[in-house]
Amino acid sequence: MSEDKAISGAERRSPVRRLLHPVRMRLAVAVVLATVGQALVLVPLAGIAVIAKLALVDGAGDASGDIPGVVAISLFCLVAGMALVTAGELLAHLADNWLTVRLRKALVDRLSKVPLGWFSTHASGAVRQAIQDDITTLHELTAHYYTTYGRCVGAIAISVVYLLAIDWRLAVLALLPFPLFHLIFGAAKRSITEERLKDFIAGQSRISNAVVEFISGIPVVKAFGAAGRAHEGYRDAVDGFQKAFLRFTGPLVIPLANANAIITPVTVLAFTLAFGSLFVHLGWITAVDVLPFALVAPGISGPMMLLGFLGHAVANATGAAERVQSLLDTPLLEQPAPGSSMRPEGTEIRFEGVRYAYDGPNDVVCDIDFTLEPGTVTAIVGPSGAGKSTIARLLLRFFDPDRGRITLGGVDLRQIASTDLYRRIGFVLQDVRLIHATLGDNIALGRPSASRQAVEAAARLANIHDRIMALPRGYDTVVGQDARLSGGEEQRVAIARAILLDPPVLVLDEATAAADAESEAAVQSALSGFASGRTLLVIAHRLDTITHADRIIVMERGRIVEVGKHADLLALNGCYARLWRAGGYGDHMPETAICEVTP
Amino acid sequence: MIKALLRLLSDDAPVFRRYVVMALSYGLLSGATIAAAVPLLGSLLRGDGEGAGRWLAILLVGVVACWLLRRRVEIAGIGVGLAILGGARLRIGDHVARLPVGWFTSENTARLGHIVTHGMMEIAQLPAHVVTPLVSGAVTPLVVVSALFVLDGSMGLIGLVTLPLMVGVFVLSARLGRAADTAYQMSAAETSQRAVEFAQAQSVLRAFNGEGGGVRFLEGAIESQHRSGRRLIWLSTLSVVLNVWILQAAFAALVIAAASRLTSDVSVPEIVAVVAAMLLAVRFVDPLLDVAAFGAAVRGARNQLAEVDRVLTEDPLSEPVNPQCPRDASVELRDVTFGYRRGEPAVVSGVSLRVEPGSMLALIGASGSGKTTLMRMVARFFDADAGQVMIGGVDIRDISSKDLSAQISQIFQDSWLFQGSIADNIRIGRPGATDDDIRAAAQLAGVDEIADRLPDGFDTIVGEGGARLSGGERQRVAIARGLIKDSPILLVDEATAALDAENQEAIARTLSRLRGKRTVLVIAHQLSTVRMADAIVVMENGRVAEKGSPRELEARDGLYRHFLQQRQAAKGWRIGA
Repeated sequence: MSEDKAISGAERRSPVRRLLHPVRMRLAVAVVLATVGQALVLVPLAGIAVIAKLALVDGAGDASGDIPGVVAISLFCLVAGMALVTAGELLAHLADNWLTVRLRKALVDRLSKVPLGWFSTHASGAVRQAIQDDITTLHELTAHYYTTYGRCVGAIAISVVYLLAIDWRLAVLALLPFPLFHLIFGAAKRSITEERLKDFIAGQSRISNAVVEFISGIPVVKAFGAAGRAHEGYRDAVDGFQKAFLRFTGPLVIPLANANAIITPVTVLAFTLAFGSLFVHLGWITAVDVLPFALVAPGISGPMMLLGFLGHAVANATGAAERVQSLLDTPLLEQPAPGSSMRPEGTEIRFEGVRYAYDGPNDVVCDIDFTLEPGTVTAIVGPSGAGKSTIARLLLRFFDPDRGRITLGGVDLRQIASTDLYRRIGFVLQDVRLIHATLGDNIALGRPSASRQAVEAAARLANIHDRIMALPRGYDTVVGQDARLSGGEEQRVAIARAILLDPPVLVLDEATAAADAESEAAVQSALSGFASGRTLLVIAHRLDTITHADRIIVMERGRIVEVGKHADLLALNGCYARLWRAGGYGDHMPETAICEVTP
Repeated sequence: MIKALLRLLSDDAPVFRRYVVMALSYGLLSGATIAAAVPLLGSLLRGDGEGAGRWLAILLVGVVACWLLRRRVEIAGIGVGLAILGGARLRIGDHVARLPVGWFTSENTARLGHIVTHGMMEIAQLPAHVVTPLVSGAVTPLVVVSALFVLDGSMGLIGLVTLPLMVGVFVLSARLGRAADTAYQMSAAETSQRAVEFAQAQSVLRAFNGEGGGVRFLEGAIESQHRSGRRLIWLSTLSVVLNVWILQAAFAALVIAAASRLTSDVSVPEIVAVVAAMLLAVRFVDPLLDVAAFGAAVRGARNQLAEVDRVLTEDPLSEPVNPQCPRDASVELRDVTFGYRRGEPAVVSGVSLRVEPGSMLALIGASGSGKTTLMRMVARFFDADAGQVMIGGVDIRDISSKDLSAQISQIFQDSWLFQGSIADNIRIGRPGATDDDIRAAAQLAGVDEIADRLPDGFDTIVGEGGARLSGGERQRVAIARGLIKDSPILLVDEATAALDAENQEAIARTLSRLRGKRTVLVIAHQLSTVRMADAIVVMENGRVAEKGSPRELEARDGLYRHFLQQRQAAKGWRIGA
């Protein structure tokens, strides 16, 4: 934050102004239209007063000639005013619609480029809130606030000026309820402390997170009965929010009720007529001059109340704008400057003195040095939490190393455009994530332009084509909606996805973990066919599948502790040998392991 | 709409009713008070000071009464809002917790999230900021129009005709926007769902974003929300125009009618009456304009209410009227059939099997053969379409959900971890567990090794869904959670729970320790597990294909033999050979 403030003038502006900057001209025009329009809409009230005066003072007989003219002017102003107001509001809505889609896309674009670690420290509910709810809240501001503000100001201004012009003494007294309203309202508003407001906003985002958690955790809630604390988290968030809401609004209820009661049309009318009668009684004005006050003054109530209510929208929108702006300011994963990106020569991958740490408990790796020769198979093994997956994620540039560098074909990953990078490196990770879309779209995720034949060919190689064809809607089956796939099947879809991308380098992370026997055979035959001839990095948990790897890297607590072929590592009788024994593979030890023991 | 609101408020409904009655009386009272202004103005214009004084006193009394009533209305309105934010949100939570797990598709969960956060906030604002002005704004003109009749018959008639006309236009314009509004809400929910997916599946989306394919779903949703938003803007502008212009047209008609009365032969009292009538005309149209301005807010809230209602009217799993207790720890399925959706082939059909107390049954079969569904049915994630699931000789629909969950401990693939520490997550299994109990379960599940490595040990915070732990670590915490529960029946999905070597060990340790002491149903993955079982059921296409002891089945040339061969093939496979 402190850095942001130091940067430039543009950055120092309030988040609302920064976000709305692109549509400021359109909004200004909309406000002018609404203000002028609303003022015109009120002209007929003055018209009525004029008619009444003409009839009562000059006598109906003399005045009847002028009356139609006054009516015509009044009605013309009414129609013109309404047309202007409508135009202004339409303009503001269209500006909002234009801005909204750009902001949402800007958020998606920004978040697609932040380090992936960001997503493990921010709840998905927060992302949804920014992209959907917060921007919808901004709509209140862009589409409604400014024009409504303009209308209120237009109505109040013309009314006050008109009444002052007729009789300033009565105007001041008749309009007394409005300053009173502001006194009470202002005092109440000052009682909202910054802290209470923060509490309230925090309560809102707590609810959002608790809902995601509560809904996702339902299976667990059910498994452990209603007594589990899972449900409680949700209750706590709801209760907490209600308390924050009460503390936020509690002290305001009575003063606001008083303030609102003071400016209801009926109160204002009573004020006007009471002072009007007094003035007539004192002979200060004529009875017919009280009429404009009775007509116009109560009409100020609506706009005035609306102005008070508008404050809510601004407060809400400011919170929302802050959240959106802070997401838009999230630091990016460094990208090569346009034109300076380099194309990798070949597919050799080198880790050079790589270190990476962030606040997550597991993601600490350091002193990582190794090379993946083109066309070779390298396996990384080690106990859970040793940092194996972090290596895979660094290679996929989910985040950048703190120290050292990773090169592909001699070029630092940071110098390669991400599209280039992902064309060369494909992966199947432990969290198989299928998108809520058809199976065909899921397989074609990396190449949306791929033909159906290409998709089917990839599915065949991944041993999933027949299963897909057995579904009633085949490749058009929507995942999770039309059919449920087992873990093994989802994995084969993920493999088909990688196959279709056809990258020279492939990263497999726990690729065969979630499979049952039938699937596992299918998955493994799919992978071994696909893997041949490529540079392969396997993050392995089952040691028996990687005994033939060209090289096995053994990791423990974020460091490389052993490197070698299966037999060498067994002979070393260190970490790898321990893992091998723990896995219970001893009985089925491959011949190579037994024969090639070296002293 | 009111019905849905009352359903949502349920026990709090009287609070709402009282509030509406108060708002109605307020509208009537302020209408009457405004009407009192007419004779006052008349007296003034005629120069009748005494009459003016009398009517002024009446007017002032009315205003004070209005003030007092208005304050109470406002306070009552806030009370309704609070009931929605608190009670109704909890009610939705309680209701949702009773729905079958099958209901929680990604579409439904996204909508639910939207409703509880955004929707409830919108509904809660309704009484305080919308209903009060709306109700009083609708009632006041009714009183005013009667007064208008007294003053001037033709103007009263115009006012009276306006009211049904206005209602007609309001209804028409609401219809006009409704379809577009529903479409907009649906596309907004789609965007919400895509945004959550975007965050949760970010790693995959990013790596497969070569041609922009990764973000195109979210961007597509945003685009379609943009388009439906545009449509909605035009339509709602049109409906606002209709609403406002019909009222202003009525106002213009009233003014013209009044002006036409002011012909050359009209007497002074008549002029006074016309002038007073014009004042009433203004007081008639003004509140109605306010009502028209609230149309959009009402429409938005009605959509939210409809969504809430859809959730609240969803049938929960039934609770027994006369709950029975299971007699022992046996599990039995009698001719059970189940499908996730109507019109689709059943996932499980005609399955019968029995697991004796203290024995272990291994379920095997290809993926999609119905093993997981079967296991979930024992835990009553859904009810059977036909047949019975019995525990301890009692149909599980006759066992209270509390008793049922006390009977069963699960180690499944849905190993969602809650925000909180590792210890908190294990303690979910048995809320009263001591630290020693937790440590013991953790050790058996291999979680102690994870805790040792982390800076805060068991107090390490795991993040949403356990995001700060690796997949294997999450599973082990879930295993510990299942273990600490220590219930007579244990359900294990080994295929997905045993992610890595350590987990396999943890599962194997668990199974061999509890074997003979608990009734165990396991979806088996490891050969060693299968061989440990007292009985094996081989599933195929939702049916039981083979049943028997491991020895019996091995002797038979059936699916089980095929399974064994396949396991051997998998073992024989090598990457990089």
